[in-house]
Amino acid sequence: MHVCTVTPISLTVGANRIVPAIAIPHPLGNPALDPADEKKLRRKIVEKALAALCTEVDDQTVFDK
Amino acid sequence: MKLELGFIKIEDVVLGSESKIVDGVLTVDCEAVKKLVLENDKIKDVQIDVAKPGESTRITPVKDVIQPRVKVEGPGGIFPGVIAPVDTVGSGKTYALEGMAVVTAGKIVGFQEGIIDMSGEGAKYCPFSKLINLVLVIEPIEGLKQHDYEEAVRIAGLKVACYIGELARTLTPYRTKAYETPTLTEGLKLYPDLPRVAYVKMLQSQGLLHDTYVYGVDAKKTLSTFIYPTELFDGAILSGNCVSACDKNPTIVHENDPVSTELFEQHGKTINFVGVIITNENVYLADKKRSSDWSAKMAEYFGVDAVVITEEGFGNPDTDLMMNCTKIEAKGIKTVLVTDEYCGQDGKSQSLADSNPAADACVTAGNANQVVVLPAMDKVIGTLDYVNKIAGGNENSLRPDGSIEAEIQVITGATSEVGYGLLSAR
Repeated sequence: MHVCTVTPISLTVGANRIVPAIAIPHPLGNPALDPADEKKLRRKIVEKALAALCTEVDDQTVFDK
Repeated sequence: MKLELGFIKIEDVVLGSESKIVDGVLTVDCEAVKKLVLENDKIKDVQIDVAKPGESTRITPVKDVIQPRVKVEGPGGIFPGVIAPVDTVGSGKTYALEGMAVVTAGKIVGFQEGIIDMSGEGAKYCPFSKLINLVLVIEPIEGLKQHDYEEAVRIAGLKVACYIGELARTLTPYRTKAYETPTLTEGLKLYPDLPRVAYVKMLQSQGLLHDTYVYGVDAKKTLSTFIYPTELFDGAILSGNCVSACDKNPTIVHENDPVSTELFEQHGKTINFVGVIITNENVYLADKKRSSDWSAKMAEYFGVDAVVITEEGFGNPDTDLMMNCTKIEAKGIKTVLVTDEYCGQDGKSQSLADSNPAADACVTAGNANQVVVLPAMDKVIGTLDYVNKIAGGNENSLRPDGSIEAEIQVITGATSEVGYGLLSAR
């Protein structure tokens, strides 16, 4: 699975599970946030990625909800 | 909007004690240029040098290449919003110095600055090897942050280019060329039977030393918009980016925008060139979606039959390229893409990071991963300290004898995605 900012590239290269990330220079964080808020954001993405790994898919799926 | 462009041929550049252009010879007052550059207290020193075609000279790390121009008639000045005050440019009369450029170099800012060789194998790939280059090797003060250094070098180069351009104000061009873009309604009346074509020009705007400025506005903070091609000829768009040397657009490339120039050649003959849609290449997916939505919306609103789309840089901007292509094609408008390729040193890998079946008409500017050996040069302007670090180099690129084995990615302008380069199948 991919955690990736540019999800169309993940789709092009054939990833099955794709979790959208924040931005290309900082996919798993956001330096504009204060550290406590950023920690929450990071945790949310990692938890979503773990949940995606545990989800059965039968086609390429972007977990953007 | 109509602009007359006059060309002043420069046959030689010499360093001296008075700045002037006489009989095609540009003399540069080094003290005056130095004073101009050192107006910025973030710059510690500047070395001024001249590199001529055919010489055994290497310039590196190259940041920008700028063509001196001067606005002699009409509103505004060159590089509006940055050097000249904000005012709509692109009409009246402008003179350009042909055959020379101002090149900024010095200690590296990022890791994607380039090499200009004035002779040898590298010169075959570099459009700037054919120019007489007035090189500014700029040394920042101690502890200056990278982005402040980039800005200081960028502004210094532009100021010097305008200072040199000003010397041509009272001269007579050896040739002139007029470029005119009618309004949408006038164009429809003038050329009712010709296909209508726009140019979608993607501007590098990834941030972190990958930026382009439009009338002084950082392009990553803009929405896609319309600009007359002649505004480009007056420096409305300029480079502030240290993206890969081979496929970034240095300022001189925007000033001479090759796609607009070629479309103007066909304007009124085979096509009706309606103008330029500029759009950015940001690092957030939402921005990519928004900007490409917007360029497609403008192409639809202008009622064009076809567009030419050019990319700047590579990697994630390949997605912006595909989004622009697919969304504009979905409006029933034909697209042709101009890009370059990163298909590995053996040329066998996928060329772009993203692709789409709608992108069925592409022009390539070459494979940036192609390996070349650049012979040692007698003279180096700048420093070889960073040759192994710049994109396209590796830890063994610089050999003990001063020669360099690297990908053509290291050569400034080698795979220009707007067609300013020298690689051709013709």
